[in-house]
Amino acid sequence: MRLRWLLVAAAAFALALFAGSRMRRLHEPRFPHLAELKTGPFSFQDAALAVAGFRAPAADLAWIQLLQYAAGGVPELPDRPGHPYEHLAGLSLRVARLDPSLHRAVLFASGILAWFHGIERPDEAAELLNEGMLRSPEQPLYALYLAALAYKKQGDTDRMIALLESSFDLPETPSTMKAILANLRQSRGEYRQALSLWKRIQENDRDASEHARARIKIAELKILLAQSGPTPKKY
Amino acid sequence: MQTISPVFAYTFKELVRRKAWLSSAVFGLVLLGGALIVSALGQDERARLMLDLGLAAIEAISLIGVVFLTVSLILQEVESRVIFLILSHPVRRADYLLGRYLGTLAAVTLSMAGMALLHAALLSLYGWWEPGRYLAALVCMAGKTAVMGALSLLLSLALTSEAAAMAFALFFWVLGHFSSEMRFLADRSGSAFLKTTLIAFSHAAPDFAHFNYRDFWHAPAPAAGWLAWAVVYALAYTTACLALAVQLFEQKEF
Amino acid sequence: MSAIQFQRVSKIYRRSHLGRTTETAGLIELDLDISRGEVFGLLGLNGSGKTTAIKLLMGLHLPTKGEVETLGRRAPNIEVLARIGYTPEAAYLNKTLTGRESLRLFAALSGIPRAEREKRVSDILRKVGLDKALDVRLADYSKGMLQRTSLAQALVHDPELIILDEPVTGLDPLAIKEVRALILWLKSKGKTVLFSSHDISEVERVCDRIGILSGGRLVKVMRQDEWRGKADALETAFAAAVARTDGVGPIRME
Repeated sequence: MRLRWLLVAAAAFALALFAGSRMRRLHEPRFPHLAELKTGPFSFQDAALAVAGFRAPAADLAWIQLLQYAAGGVPELPDRPGHPYEHLAGLSLRVARLDPSLHRAVLFASGILAWFHGIERPDEAAELLNEGMLRSPEQPLYALYLAALAYKKQGDTDRMIALLESSFDLPETPSTMKAILANLRQSRGEYRQALSLWKRIQENDRDASEHARARIKIAELKILLAQSGPTPKKY
Repeated sequence: MQTISPVFAYTFKELVRRKAWLSSAVFGLVLLGGALIVSALGQDERARLMLDLGLAAIEAISLIGVVFLTVSLILQEVESRVIFLILSHPVRRADYLLGRYLGTLAAVTLSMAGMALLHAALLSLYGWWEPGRYLAALVCMAGKTAVMGALSLLLSLALTSEAAAMAFALFFWVLGHFSSEMRFLADRSGSAFLKTTLIAFSHAAPDFAHFNYRDFWHAPAPAAGWLAWAVVYALAYTTACLALAVQLFEQKEF
Repeated sequence: MSAIQFQRVSKIYRRSHLGRTTETAGLIELDLDISRGEVFGLLGLNGSGKTTAIKLLMGLHLPTKGEVETLGRRAPNIEVLARIGYTPEAAYLNKTLTGRESLRLFAALSGIPRAEREKRVSDILRKVGLDKALDVRLADYSKGMLQRTSLAQALVHDPELIILDEPVTGLDPLAIKEVRALILWLKSKGKTVLFSSHDISEVERVCDRIGILSGGRLVKVMRQDEWRGKADALETAFAAAVARTDGVGPIRME
């Protein structure tokens, strides 16, 4: 039996091992290990996609499910009465552990948990942001949101809003977070600033999901501004 | 070597004329359409979803295509006895196998290129345009397809059953994406036997986890030179599988 | 000078199933020498070893024992295969190709230079009467047309040695007459022809010598002068020489 091809195979395999070690040295994907996945009722979907090499698409589908949950719930994870958004943090961690580069999931969920009207769960938001920062230290918004949370805890709302607004036009800032900020301004009676934020949302193509709401809010704020009269001049 | 090109040409023609090839290309286009629709649900992440789901659809179709075609590439020629006439001409078995493999790869790459063109056109309609990185992702996907094709061909010759070869090919696909996990488990394992076994498997299986650029596209970019080593890796692994396949094929009687 | 030499060639088929290995003898101690320019017929019942002998010549099987030589070189030899034309018992052609594409493939595999290829293909297709169906896919050919294409591929490279496995089986009387004329024409051109057949009347009309195989053994070799002009001489010799090995008994007329 001629072994010529076996020798070729052995040489090629040795080259593959060498090239593989160089490839791994130059880049190691930063996906959390499979044991760390937080899948809940979606374990089959997540595991099947992850082991087949489709982690980014798995995270994308998890992101859609997170949005569906935030928009009104998913049948697999019903909220107990009086516990709105109780699975929000878990679902956003699910996305972050499938693919930590989908930063918007953590930013979106932490924004709702920390600043959405009627949801006061800043500790959960901080936990999420800390995990996000650990997995993607290159994302500056995690640190910025954590700092804003610290201002919130100190009761320094002005500096908190100013800090959050500094990230308003960054591409990673979720549209929902922008809407939350505009509503925060409105709740403080700062209609002119709120109107300006909604107008920026409406002008930005990336925030298309908030455009319908922006139109309503702009109309509403214009009425409120008309009712409250001219803004007193500052001296 | 001069007989590789006629075998390549007839294999390419044969496969492109098959209904299965056309159906898979059409199915790929349907999946791309699906990706477009699903991505609309992604709100702020629409572009990312279109990119990820589209590339995933292209890769899945190419993978299924290449495995399906290569496991039957030789076995069907043996069953239909077409191989009698081919090998009764002055054709080295290695040339025949390489020509068949390259013809199949070309047919799969053609459908992959068609789907990628449409996908890139759709993405550019939505204002997304990063041709360099897109091309890098396609190169890695083509590398995975080449490796899987060679591996399936080897398995089909070693196992002589299309179904078994297909099952093992898909097992290796999963194992390949599991390579990082196997190394991680080996690090944590206290048993020397388990550690050695896991390390051996992680090296023997194709290391898809590390050249799955489509999957870690959104993470910080790999260092320069990474893609070149990934290409060398895919070529070397493919060569190893093909050489083993030739070794088996040269001992076969028809 | 020998065109074909079998030197004490045996071929044993081994099959393993559930741990049990069974052995079947395809050929036993075959010694045969066929001269250049000779037309030699291999006669035998089903399973007598005719196709096994031909496959050994073409390198599709490897001998278990002994040596096979074709055109002075040990078989299988790639250079020698370029000087041999082979037609199997049925037209094992890739049906997705057209007649012209199929012949182009075999011409290229046989090493005919590109510049000459088109002319050779057209000439040979005209010679076998298929010039009106050049660009029709083989899937749409009739059985007779396929058989002619199969003959054409064996002759396209103008071989020195032509091996025809059951060339008249299943053909209509007109086609049988044409095959007979073709063999005689090849002989007139100085080619060596080896063919196997069940059909004694065909064999006796064209062969210089015949060999009778039974149960894998060459039981008799006869020269033309031993049957020419003697009614039923070949049939009588054949019936006396062969024994059924397929477990089928004679038809009883009582």
